Amino acid sequence: MEGKVIVVTSGKGGVGKTTATSSIGAALALEGKRVAIVDMDIGLRNLDVVMGLENRIVFNIVDVVLGKCKISQAAIRDRRIDNLFLIPASQSDNKDVLSPAGVERVANELRKEFDYVIMDSPAGIERGFQNAIVGANEAIVICTPDVSSVRDADRVIGILYSRSLTPKLVVNRIEPARVERGEMLSYEDVLEVLSIELLGLVPMDEHVLISSNTGTPLVLQNESKAGHAFRRIAKRLNGEADLPIEIPTHKSSMWKKISKTFGFK
Amino acid sequence: MINFDSAAPVRLKGVGDGFWITLDPSHPEEVLKSEIDKVFRNLKHLAINASVVIDVGDAKGHDDLIEQLRSYIMATFEVAKVSKPPEKRSIPTERIRQRDLSKGWNHHRSDVLMLRGIVRSGQKIESRKHIVIMGDANPGSEICAGGDIIVLGRLAGRAHAGFPGDESAIVFALEFRPTLVRIGKAAASGIDEEVRIKPEYACVENDGIIVKDYMKTNPFRKMPWPEAI
Repeated sequence: MEGKVIVVTSGKGGVGKTTATSSIGAALALEGKRVAIVDMDIGLRNLDVVMGLENRIVFNIVDVVLGKCKISQAAIRDRRIDNLFLIPASQSDNKDVLSPAGVERVANELRKEFDYVIMDSPAGIERGFQNAIVGANEAIVICTPDVSSVRDADRVIGILYSRSLTPKLVVNRIEPARVERGEMLSYEDVLEVLSIELLGLVPMDEHVLISSNTGTPLVLQNESKAGHAFRRIAKRLNGEADLPIEIPTHKSSMWKKISKTFGFK
Repeated sequence: MINFDSAAPVRLKGVGDGFWITLDPSHPEEVLKSEIDKVFRNLKHLAINASVVIDVGDAKGHDDLIEQLRSYIMATFEVAKVSKPPEKRSIPTERIRQRDLSKGWNHHRSDVLMLRGIVRSGQKIESRKHIVIMGDANPGSEICAGGDIIVLGRLAGRAHAGFPGDESAIVFALEFRPTLVRIGKAAASGIDEEVRIKPEYACVENDGIIVKDYMKTNPFRKMPWPEAI
């Protein structure tokens, strides 16, 4: 059976596309699937840094698309998680070296070898983004509870629909305490505007910064709330569609909830 | 030579692929025959394979005469066929244009572009007609209509009604919070007030755009009768 090519995109930069891509990819690999993570942000690669595979790069996605090497040569195997591979971006080229037809061909080849191919799209809606979505079967839109992020996600969703891709939404960086105080949009507000299927809610988590900088997979850190959320998202993607979506809550209200469950039921 | 003189007993006119002979049936048959003879000789080869129509004008009851002449022409000249003028359909003298005023909309072709779904950021809906959106117009979207704009949902993008110069147009939304409203040539930017979810509409009054509560000042209440647009 052929695998799925899933593009992770957002429109706006800095909302957590790269973190989401590496975390969802790693989590799917932990589920026992064969996963390739492809960095499509040509010229500004950083997925390799986040995954801690920077000093093992020989070939990259541009070499693969231009036919300079085989997929197996460019794919870097992760040592901590089995069945997890990274195809890095090129840092020296720019986005124009890839043609949509070439990317589509490579995406179809990757689909034969992997169960899941997760593509990290660059920010923006220009050439690089178009290249990233051309071979995709599914799309995940990452959005933070900011007005500007929602606006950009909305635009991207419109473009994805026009390419017959039905995107699913991940709301990232939710700060329950600030939502509670009304300083931040709630995920309901975001959903009201975007109105697409919700795949998961990821809370703000300082582990993300640490794991990105040290190059350790977030999903391997058991105490990370965001890592936990991404593992649930991966499970949902991997067929467990009925897995309920956990709503990030503020600590105090969490205790209230627990006491409610155990004490006053 | 073709004689167009109305006094002549036989007149000939070319119609389509044949000839139209108008007879005056008050003349004796012999005279008509010789006149037809004369006319057809003038036509020479043009008469060959032509279709001929014998018309006795408004006179009635000359079927015998027509039949006689028909067989005469068929026998003498090499025409394809000879027939009587086609029966005129009975057209009423005056076409009934009276319309059932109580249901004028039955005869109306709609001038409305009606869409359902979400108009997302970066999308632009343009039409010279009225536009009805069943859904939301998200921030960053644009709607430009020649007539009115009706949003059955939240209008949070830009709306230009009455494009390019119709200031009688309105912009209506169930949740009215656009970033920009233009009606004809008038323009107004969005209001940073608290969100109040109630049906509102914008219209032009004294060259400025004002927003009103639809349920309190319904602009169409003064119309006595439903009218198609």
